[in-house]
Amino acid sequence: MKIFYTLIIMLLSASLVTAQNSPVKPISVNFQQAGTEQFVKDLELKTGYHFYYNSTQFDSLKVTLQLSDKTLNEILNAAFRNTGYHYTIVPAKLWVFLTSDKEIHPLVAAGYFTPKPGQVTINNTAPVTDLTATVNKPAIESTIENKLYEIGIKTNEVKPGNATISGYVKEIKSGDVIAGASIFVANTKTGVVSDKFGYYTLSLPRGRQQLIVRAIGMKDTRRQLMLYTDGELNIELQDQVTRLKEVKISADKVANVRGVELSVNRLDIKNIKQVPQIFGETDVLRVVLTLPGVQSVGEATTGFNVRGGAADQNLILLNDATIYNPAHFFGFFSAFNPDIVKDVELYKNSIPEKFGGRLSSVLEVTDREGNKKSFAGSAGIGLLTSRLNVEGPIIKDKTSFIFGARTSYSDWLLSLLPAEYKHSHASFYDLNLDISHQINKNNNIYITSYLSNDNFRLNSDTTYNYSNQNANIKWKHNFNNKFFGVLTAGYDGYKYDISSIQNPVDGYKLKFNINQTNFKADFTYYLNGNNTIDFGISSIFYQLNPGDEEPYGNGSLVVPDVVPAEHALESAVYLGDKYDMTDDLTISAGMRFSVYNYLGQQTIDNYAPNLPRSPNNVVDSTTYGKGKIINTYSHPEIRISARYNLSDDLSIKAGYNTLAQYIHLLSNTTAISPIDVYKLSDPNIKPQYGDQISLGLYKNAKANTIEASVEVYYKRINNYLDYKSSASLLLNQHIEQDVLNTQGKAYGIEFSLRKTAGKLNGWVNYTYSRTFLRQNDPNAGELINGGAYYPANYDKPNAFNFTGNYRFTHRYSVSLDVTYSTGRPITLPIAKYYAYGSERVFYSDRNAYRIPDYFRSDFSLNIDGNAKVNQRFHNSWSVGVYNLTGRQNAYSTFFQEQGGAINEYQLSIFARPIPFINYNIRF
Amino acid sequence: MTTAFACKKQISSSVTNAPNNYLVVNGNIAPDDTTTITLTRTVNISGKANSKPELNASVSIEGSQGDHYTLAPNSNGAYVLAPVSLSATQNYRLKITTSEGKQYASDFVPVKNSPPIDTVNYVIQAKGLQINVNTHDPANNTHYYRWDYTETYIIHSLYNSHYMEVNHDTTAPRPADKEIYQCWASDTSSTIVLGSSAKLSQDIISAQPIIAIPSSSEKIHIRYSIRVKQYALTTDAYNYFVLLKKNTEQLGGIFDAQPSELTGNIHCLTNPSEPVIGFVTAGSVTQQRIFIDNANLPAWQADLPFNGCSADTLVYIYTIPGSRPPQLIYQVNEFIYTDVMIPIDYVDAFYPNNGYTAAFPYCVDCTIRGTNKQPSFWK
Repeated sequence: MKIFYTLIIMLLSASLVTAQNSPVKPISVNFQQAGTEQFVKDLELKTGYHFYYNSTQFDSLKVTLQLSDKTLNEILNAAFRNTGYHYTIVPAKLWVFLTSDKEIHPLVAAGYFTPKPGQVTINNTAPVTDLTATVNKPAIESTIENKLYEIGIKTNEVKPGNATISGYVKEIKSGDVIAGASIFVANTKTGVVSDKFGYYTLSLPRGRQQLIVRAIGMKDTRRQLMLYTDGELNIELQDQVTRLKEVKISADKVANVRGVELSVNRLDIKNIKQVPQIFGETDVLRVVLTLPGVQSVGEATTGFNVRGGAADQNLILLNDATIYNPAHFFGFFSAFNPDIVKDVELYKNSIPEKFGGRLSSVLEVTDREGNKKSFAGSAGIGLLTSRLNVEGPIIKDKTSFIFGARTSYSDWLLSLLPAEYKHSHASFYDLNLDISHQINKNNNIYITSYLSNDNFRLNSDTTYNYSNQNANIKWKHNFNNKFFGVLTAGYDGYKYDISSIQNPVDGYKLKFNINQTNFKADFTYYLNGNNTIDFGISSIFYQLNPGDEEPYGNGSLVVPDVVPAEHALESAVYLGDKYDMTDDLTISAGMRFSVYNYLGQQTIDNYAPNLPRSPNNVVDSTTYGKGKIINTYSHPEIRISARYNLSDDLSIKAGYNTLAQYIHLLSNTTAISPIDVYKLSDPNIKPQYGDQISLGLYKNAKANTIEASVEVYYKRINNYLDYKSSASLLLNQHIEQDVLNTQGKAYGIEFSLRKTAGKLNGWVNYTYSRTFLRQNDPNAGELINGGAYYPANYDKPNAFNFTGNYRFTHRYSVSLDVTYSTGRPITLPIAKYYAYGSERVFYSDRNAYRIPDYFRSDFSLNIDGNAKVNQRFHNSWSVGVYNLTGRQNAYSTFFQEQGGAINEYQLSIFARPIPFINYNIRF
Repeated sequence: MTTAFACKKQISSSVTNAPNNYLVVNGNIAPDDTTTITLTRTVNISGKANSKPELNASVSIEGSQGDHYTLAPNSNGAYVLAPVSLSATQNYRLKITTSEGKQYASDFVPVKNSPPIDTVNYVIQAKGLQINVNTHDPANNTHYYRWDYTETYIIHSLYNSHYMEVNHDTTAPRPADKEIYQCWASDTSSTIVLGSSAKLSQDIISAQPIIAIPSSSEKIHIRYSIRVKQYALTTDAYNYFVLLKKNTEQLGGIFDAQPSELTGNIHCLTNPSEPVIGFVTAGSVTQQRIFIDNANLPAWQADLPFNGCSADTLVYIYTIPGSRPPQLIYQVNEFIYTDVMIPIDYVDAFYPNNGYTAAFPYCVDCTIRGTNKQPSFWK
């Protein structure tokens, strides 16, 4: 049917042109950027014809024309060439009708051909035209591949040079913006990637252009443009028809080779969901652990180490909110609700200038925007947790919300255990509520909020409770299509408490919390086709209560012990430029200057110079008043990366960055546990500084479906805190006496191979990396391993990961996940002796031994209910086995005295195959 | 749930089973006093014994200007040198050749003589007695100090025994030299006590806590004495002791701090990679003793170790009441002659109903916990 209509239009259009011939004596005209009024008046004067037109439709017409001895027909043809305007001459009445589009003719309106969602688009090759976008007009919503979209102020002749288009990339059904979509100009190497708001700005030559648009999980598409001047174009993409049809690992098939960013991994939630998960629970952070260069110290932890950095050196952002504890239940589950998360991006080297404050990496987790067009939701039922999410429009196409909730009900499982565990209790929940609102096309408001809570008691009297609380509001304003800014204000909090009433006399409650209030302003300016400039400012005010022990319960005799609160202000300004020097060479260079003020009220101990910080060496102390600046640190941070295309599918990239970190996580265990303590830098505890240089080679093959890369890096870390022997961290009023500044170095090589399309897809990577620390300051009072470099706790030289998915049909697929790594280092007591009046233990060098190597494989079978697009409910099952081989991987080895003898024990977590089943429903 | 999915099992890795047999050397080279160096070997971490002596080594002290002194071996791994005069301008080191021929040497250490102890005093606190030491170095040259101490105190038995068993077949009145009611018990320090004046403009140690004695302690029940010895340390030695003190008090668990290896100033010359444990210092030691009488202390209630003590009457022949035929117990024979119980006083009656009040040895015999010979320094 559609083809039939297309033919009719073509025929009618052709007949129209012939009908417009009319006998008017030749005239001469000379217009320079003439508006419609001037143009029409001149012609009316010269021809005696009267022109009828809608002035609002023609206010964007500018005519530049110099012709002599031409008919009115010829002049109008020349003036309206390449525009969407048409004319109809009625010689009998001396009328000329000017129209935009074809409304004067008995033809079907162009918009008729916008396909409904899910429908197949047609190849309509006719020059169907659309409304011209101009200032104060809505951006063009482009949905059709072969329609010619005209952009800018129409002129009859296209000026040479470049123009800029900008707009949003959206999902056609929900209106949700798509981050990381790549928009490329066909046949050139020019292209951009949409930002996290789905916004893009692209500078390209004027005239007829074809854009190629690709986004993860979306059908590849093209857009035909006629570009006159700067303008706006929103691009709506269609979802892959079936969820499992084709899984793309990288947001952007060519980004591997063409992007300037180095060591950045982006994962879409669909990639994450196909990895077999423990208890069937999709776990964002566990998938991050399969990426090259990412390690963890043990199984029950979601604290992760990126390229030899410590767990606290990762900035974990959920919609720009800092998440201090990204784990539920001591790390068994990650704190992000997989039904809400849209994508995850891990920056390992090319950390954009706008981020700072952590040394190793930035993990950016972004939630979806709520569906702006209709209500939708999903629910999941697993063995231990249930999930529900609802989303929909509040004001259609303008305001939407998305709400997600997860809760555990694992108490029933605990109740099945033997009686000695019956007092155990574990529960957690998390809630997300995000609202996005479009005020107008230049102003958007986004509100995101997150709350998580954990409460558990394990076969003991001690109850742990911890919670993340985050809320922020963002205002995005487009000044024009080359310049936009985002203002963000927010609050991030993390707190925990530990309480015990086993012995009423000793009943206590220990509380810790950290709160930060953030403000930042980020701006992006597309200077021209070759330069994109980012700049902004940010400020974080920290309030930290390091510890507060209070009596708990009646009859407790515990004396309250409060470590004084700490305050600090961390601010930064940054400026960066992404500069395309040639088609093949792109450089991104930036500078961030961070300033840190440690603020009163506080009492600072002053230590004698060149002596260990020990109680004996406190000379005196100084008390500072509220809000007074106690001391200031500042650090210029450099961020540089460059890419050079050796050929179309082969590129080389290099990057260098320096970073500063003003907040320290104090943990003398090897895993992040909720009882760790954060510490702000102060006169006695210096900020951590680090830099990293990185080089990589990238190759795509088989039509960009296979991506290969090799990256090497070398990294230095200064002032990383390690602990003196037997350091005590909780309720320590003089933490500087128990810590040591260490220097670190890390290096490694990462091989990665990804297959992004086809029945078999997935990734495999191998990393060789080393991480060492050194404490060689004789004045610190304690040399670790004689001042030599020693392996850090998370130094695991060999790491191998395979994550694969094989799709039999659209409904059935299997996933396999294989992980191997060297066991982590450990310090062991190796002998004992008697001296100075008691038995003493002799330890090996710090981290001189290793726990056994780690190996695990997981398997799952995924069944989709059916693949029909238009049905009320979509359901899916996932069944599988975690730790297929049941290997008893050591989490830790430790020593306990029993009956006068010291025995060695090994603790394993998930030491046997664990089957799981999970049911999901979408509506 | 951790327990549901976690598993703890005992393992024996090569590390703990390896016959770790490192040499442990400790001691102070003391000018003008007897020098004692102890040589022991570490034992396996899972072993029952806590150390074993290193016998038959040849141990000598070598001065940086070539002086040489040989130490004489003792039976328990101690090697002793009678007082010699060492020069404060020389550095000294220890040289050891073990019976298996391995050679060890310490670093050269300077002679750091301890200044005299100004006072050892005590402070009465709510929870008990705090013993402190005060010292200073007029030359401003010592800065780092270590102390150890020996406590000696009078203990009494619960019962004062006037009789004793003789030859397992009779009893006799207890003579004065077999007195077991009053003894002198002794303890040595089991913790490392360190002090530093490095941050001070003057080399003064004021009220350095040595030991806190709880008010209920038996030590201060009657009369107490403490002898505090003071050692001057180099910076290296001080840091070593700080670490040793912290490092050797706990084992590595999941949530415990990570300790690290502690190396002293002794090295194996034959095999430089072989760990050697211990630190040798040099310098004269100063000491001071004080006495504390219970009369000078508040009326604290002592917590005495006599739970379960009672004085029972034991007769020569005891008939179990109501037993038919009568069952007889030869109580004196069975309990006193066998040393199960110690007689206290004579119970005067007609044979066989005469006998002794008696109690278990720990209630009566203080020599179990001390000596009944008054130490020579006691006053």
